[in-house]
Amino acid sequence: MRPKQLLSIAALSLILLSAGHSLLAQTRVVAGKVIDSKDGAALPGISIVPNGTSIGTQTDSTGNFRISVPSSVTNLRISAIGYQAQDVSIIGMTFIEVALTATYTSLNDVVVIGYGTAKKKDLTGAIGSVVERDFNKGIYSSPDQLIQGKVTGVQMTTANGDPGSAITIKIRGSSALSGTGQPLFVIDGVQLDGRAFQERDNPLNFINPNDIASIDILKDASATAIYGSRAAYGVFIINTKSGQAGAPKLDVSVSAGISSILKKVDVLNPAEYRDAISYYNANPGNDKGSNINPFDAILQDAWQQNYSLAYGGGNENNKYRFSVGYQNKDGIVKNTNFKRYNAGMTASTKLLSSRKLGLDFNLNGSQYVRDGSGVFINDDLTNGNDNVIRTALQWNPTDDLYNADGSIKIIPNGPQNPLSQLNNIRANLKVTTLLASITPSYKFTSWLEYKLLLSVNYSTGTLRSEVNQATFPGFPGLASIRNFELTTEQVTHTLNFNKKIFPKLNLNALAGYEYLKFTSKGYGLSGIGVGGVGFGDYGLDYTNYVQYSDAGSRGISSYLDPSSELQSFFARAIFNYDEKYLLTATFRADGSTKFGDENKYGYFPSFALAWNIAKETFFNVRWVDALKIRGGWGKTGNQEFPPGSAQALYAFRNNGNLGQINNPNPNLKWQSDQQFDLGVDFSLFDHRLSGTIDYFNKKTTNLLFPSPPIQPAPPGSTVRWINLDGEIINKGFEFAVSGGIIRNEKFNWDLTVNTTFLNNSVSGLPVPIYTGFVNGPVETIQNGLPMNAFYTRKFLGLDKASGFSVYQDDGTKMYYVGDPNPKMLLGISSTFRYKKLSLIANMNGSFGQDIYNATLMTSLGVGGIQGGSNIASSVYHDPVKENYANPVTPSSRYVQNGDYFKLNNLTLSYELGNVANTFKNMVIYLTGQNLFMITSYQGFDPEVNINNSINGIPSLGIDNVRYPSSKSIIVGINFSL
Amino acid sequence: MKSKANIFRILFFLLIVAGCTKLKETAGGNLTPGQVSTDTAADVLLRATYASLEYTFTSYQEMLPLTTFTTDEAIAPTRGGDWDDNASWRVFHEQKWDADNSHIRNCFNSLGGVVYAATDLLKYNATVQQKAEARFLRAWAMYLILDMFDQVPYRDPGESLIEPARVRQGLDALAYIIDEINAVEPDLPDGPADVANKFAAKTLLMKCYLNKAVYANRASPTHDPADMDKVIALADQIINSGNFDFSIQYFNNFSPTNAADGKENIFTQQSNADGNYVLQFAWQAVTHYYQGGFNGFTTLSDFYNKFEATDKRRGIAYDYSNSPPNPGRRVNVGFLADQQYNLEDDSPLDFGDGPLIYTPEVTNILPGPNLAMPGIRPLKYPPDNANFDFRGTPCTNEYVYFRFPDVLLMKAEAIWRGGAATSAGPYGNTALLIVNAVRTAPSRSATALTTLSADDLLDERGRELWWEGWRRQDMIRFGKFLLPFQEKNYASDPKYLLFPIPSEQLAVNQLYLHQNPGY
Repeated sequence: MRPKQLLSIAALSLILLSAGHSLLAQTRVVAGKVIDSKDGAALPGISIVPNGTSIGTQTDSTGNFRISVPSSVTNLRISAIGYQAQDVSIIGMTFIEVALTATYTSLNDVVVIGYGTAKKKDLTGAIGSVVERDFNKGIYSSPDQLIQGKVTGVQMTTANGDPGSAITIKIRGSSALSGTGQPLFVIDGVQLDGRAFQERDNPLNFINPNDIASIDILKDASATAIYGSRAAYGVFIINTKSGQAGAPKLDVSVSAGISSILKKVDVLNPAEYRDAISYYNANPGNDKGSNINPFDAILQDAWQQNYSLAYGGGNENNKYRFSVGYQNKDGIVKNTNFKRYNAGMTASTKLLSSRKLGLDFNLNGSQYVRDGSGVFINDDLTNGNDNVIRTALQWNPTDDLYNADGSIKIIPNGPQNPLSQLNNIRANLKVTTLLASITPSYKFTSWLEYKLLLSVNYSTGTLRSEVNQATFPGFPGLASIRNFELTTEQVTHTLNFNKKIFPKLNLNALAGYEYLKFTSKGYGLSGIGVGGVGFGDYGLDYTNYVQYSDAGSRGISSYLDPSSELQSFFARAIFNYDEKYLLTATFRADGSTKFGDENKYGYFPSFALAWNIAKETFFNVRWVDALKIRGGWGKTGNQEFPPGSAQALYAFRNNGNLGQINNPNPNLKWQSDQQFDLGVDFSLFDHRLSGTIDYFNKKTTNLLFPSPPIQPAPPGSTVRWINLDGEIINKGFEFAVSGGIIRNEKFNWDLTVNTTFLNNSVSGLPVPIYTGFVNGPVETIQNGLPMNAFYTRKFLGLDKASGFSVYQDDGTKMYYVGDPNPKMLLGISSTFRYKKLSLIANMNGSFGQDIYNATLMTSLGVGGIQGGSNIASSVYHDPVKENYANPVTPSSRYVQNGDYFKLNNLTLSYELGNVANTFKNMVIYLTGQNLFMITSYQGFDPEVNINNSINGIPSLGIDNVRYPSSKSIIVGINFSL
Repeated sequence: MKSKANIFRILFFLLIVAGCTKLKETAGGNLTPGQVSTDTAADVLLRATYASLEYTFTSYQEMLPLTTFTTDEAIAPTRGGDWDDNASWRVFHEQKWDADNSHIRNCFNSLGGVVYAATDLLKYNATVQQKAEARFLRAWAMYLILDMFDQVPYRDPGESLIEPARVRQGLDALAYIIDEINAVEPDLPDGPADVANKFAAKTLLMKCYLNKAVYANRASPTHDPADMDKVIALADQIINSGNFDFSIQYFNNFSPTNAADGKENIFTQQSNADGNYVLQFAWQAVTHYYQGGFNGFTTLSDFYNKFEATDKRRGIAYDYSNSPPNPGRRVNVGFLADQQYNLEDDSPLDFGDGPLIYTPEVTNILPGPNLAMPGIRPLKYPPDNANFDFRGTPCTNEYVYFRFPDVLLMKAEAIWRGGAATSAGPYGNTALLIVNAVRTAPSRSATALTTLSADDLLDERGRELWWEGWRRQDMIRFGKFLLPFQEKNYASDPKYLLFPIPSEQLAVNQLYLHQNPGY
């Protein structure tokens, strides 16, 4: 698709949109009230639409509504998410009272299943679905955080605590030998590239969480296979809000809060430090005489605020919604901040007198800005000793951070002052994203619809960083600017067939063609100040005048990645016999430019069956409302390797030299994942108790692996992409149970518990693989062990006489000493409602995983007491006195239990309803995030995953001076006008 | 009905637009081999080949630990929390390395990269001299692989990179290397030193013949006088060219202006070939933080004590372009020992908690309390201070591969090992005379020896060529490598005469590579 053609289509579509609307006939007025069938409570915000019309309204906070309807209308459709919709006759009535029944089991909720939707009760695959009312409350920088702990089988790990940083999402365990292992993100049918400017950025930062209506997670292969070669790690479907039929209304949401550090790392205080100097016989000069807490000096009370406005409305045939959002979130480390500006527009219309031509528009523009003290934000500056968290932990607690004159103390060639780093190493990342799509559709008949989706997702970012010359004496300063552009273009044609082909047999079939194109390019430039002159002390950001730098010091580069295109054909058929027997079959053929000539196309089938036992006449158990057994098998792929890996590439390098950079493999193909899933969905006791149980077994083969090159190989090339023999199996059970423990007119208590048991194993690899770089590899991927098993020296303790470490076999042999994969995930959600007051608590935990505490090893070892930096309390309090010359060698000494349980969200909210006849549906709430955490782990947060990959082979569960996590208190108010 | 017809027209149009693509990958901002062969001159590929040699020598990470820390010349002590690095450094001096050692692996890979880049150039249009230069660089890299690993993997130009590479071993590899050098020498230029040249080719041939017996039997080499004669003849060709002489100052050969002042230099690394020149590590790796370094490697007192106090090769107060004022005339190049001074104002350096004094005794793992200061620091390359102010900019010192005194000492050794003595230049015609010619040159000012034993020869090579990467080869040739020496108080297993094939490479090339004996 060329831009010009896109334009002409857009123009055509606009012309179509401006076509006329029909007029309404003579009307009458109907009023009414909607209540909950259980407790008789008034239900606000219920949609009232006269059947066969394009008008509509909503109930107010007292559950009342009033609507003018054409005299021809005989029924009103009363509906709301979470309730069973009803058609109510209004023949001869001017006032009606309707009692809606809550669908606590959500069986009638509509779930987006990829290129279509299905009712939850008709699903054959394992899909986790979370709608807005169940989202985590609070101020989030990206929408993935809305469902943390809510879906079984989904492990979400916040790698770093700074706002806007990436989250590791692992759906049903760890199987990535390369790449990110992240699921495919799909927003309103648009597939995202998945990459961000840099690894530590969350690729979903550009989306305003307030615009999200629901998130569906496709977990098993029978559900994901329709996405083929990009779906091996699951599919994360984000559905944004669209306009609702009814009078136009303005939704306002305002919240603000404050955060502070969740947990500190225990280092010596000044008194202990003095004791330690004499205890270890260290240099007495290390006692500098002061008493300070250097870590507190880099922290701040972090304020955050979030504003969201949405204006929407429409009728049955034309709906629209505009939204704007602004978020400003400080990090708990000084000088770190995240801001986002959002504007979105969505509209859908049905055209022609027949209403057969539909047109959906979606436009979302967003910019986010991350400010950092260099240390964070910028991948490049994070490595090494520039990390302010590290230097703050290490700073001698008896040494002042300031000179007598109030200036920041700089110790030439000595330890770096964390405050100097905060002020002098700065980075600013600005990312602007545009996501636009247009979806014309045509309903040929009631059972046949054609749909076209055209979309462009364009994102550009600039990272400006500066190391001020004040960092240390004589340093002339450094400025660096990097820019990137990511573009994804998508064209999807689908034809949907949905018809009863026999009296009891319904066929819902889909056929489609899709084309995706990914483009990535960018540039960078940097310079160091002229010796003796520097960048000067003008108070300006050095990146504003890089040309002032020393000409010889400049670095410049630019790139355009090799093209990456995907062309796909797919089909799905869902047979539904009498609502009892369901069969889903899908098939996708994916062609990719990345694959070698021998393997241009990959084929991904899936099958699933479901049996609604409760519908059978022979099944006559009163207390069982719904019971469904389902099973499925499918095959998906992963093609997450760099484009250009199948053919030889020569790169232009500095100063006119050109050389081959890669080890081409023309036989390269996708990685294959086969997954088997068996599940039971049930709803019992009048829907008081419902749940889902799943067993899954996922086998990953043809592992995409960045293998070492075979020498002689191009200089500097570190990988040769291959499909490696071997198998990674992830299997486990998922349980989700929801119960209405107390339900009466005034008081309700619902409790949902979800747990996942995971088991992970590796077999068939020809050679062991090593990764997890902490002064050398500490993890292995090898047969008979779980993925990323900690594999290092076995620490036997400290020798009492010498104070040196003692290792099994003198440290010459490596052992399996820990497993970073959790064995059990737990999520608990409890909701109390008393009249208009509700208290929601979300807790989540992860158990059975170990963490490699590299912070302790690299930064807080005993050597600091002689070197003049701080050490960990655990080192000092060890019963055996360690020699401060004890070498810092990776070993099981640093493998710690990573079990944790967190109260990640506690929200108290009160529904004020309508206030002063102006504010409608007003809700005020108070939320606490991460109010407590139970763990024995010694780092900031056991929920950690700092990338220590080797040659692109991911590491897992290594903590190396992460940005600390925070706890927050937030107040908010939502209302409509 | 008209609107319906329009709709169908639009739909039809859209379907056409979306017609299938061929899925042909383009190279983006890179070039495919086809583009290279039609649009590119070979000189840019040759530049990349030269550049590919740089890092393995000029960083302290690859060649240095293998060729130097394994010997009595240097040690990389673990200083408490510093320089442990997964124990990857100290195993060299202890001679306890294994096939997973990262430095060994990276060294093997880097040299393989040179072999590849040079071979790959040969498949494109290039001049005779360009191809000769590339083949010489390949022979040089292959020679180093042979010397350290015995098995030399190779590929033909254009060979698939997913297939295992074939391997030449031992004397077969040596014969191939000698043939290659002989084949390309006529097409190489006479100079300059930082381009593959005729005299570099002759020097490399001398190394081949002098060590040939080692490649036949590393544990107990028997030198063939015919090979020694070849060494002598090649030396005489180099001497008689008149192109080389002693530099006015020994350290001129290593200074920031050594491209012009280093009269002894036969073959050096082109500096700044790709803008990531890393020779500054030669001084950063040894000096203390308070001198701008990383406080790493040192020599040992036994090695330091091999020098006479007057021997200028041990260290002098040296003035050179960009040198600091050094008002106290402190030793600023060579081995840095004792109290260190600020070379701007001659104030004694203090590292925060006491004077910075480099003490001679050092161990593999320093036991404390003194962790920072032990060890005399070898500083062979005078720091290019003008370019050492935190910038990543190139320093202009060229890394030295071959030097004229090495040619003289090799000739002396060849005579000593039974080759027929010849007279060429003013250096005499016996081993002793030639060695003394080197020792007593004004730029050295050491006293003349009266006799010449094996130890004398080996020691002299050590004094002349310290930190130049020949100590391991020399000690093996003299049968001293496995014997106890300072901070290695045991005889090592003969397997350590060779480095192991990195296990990672063994795993991907099981067809042709095999692990060296004993590993």
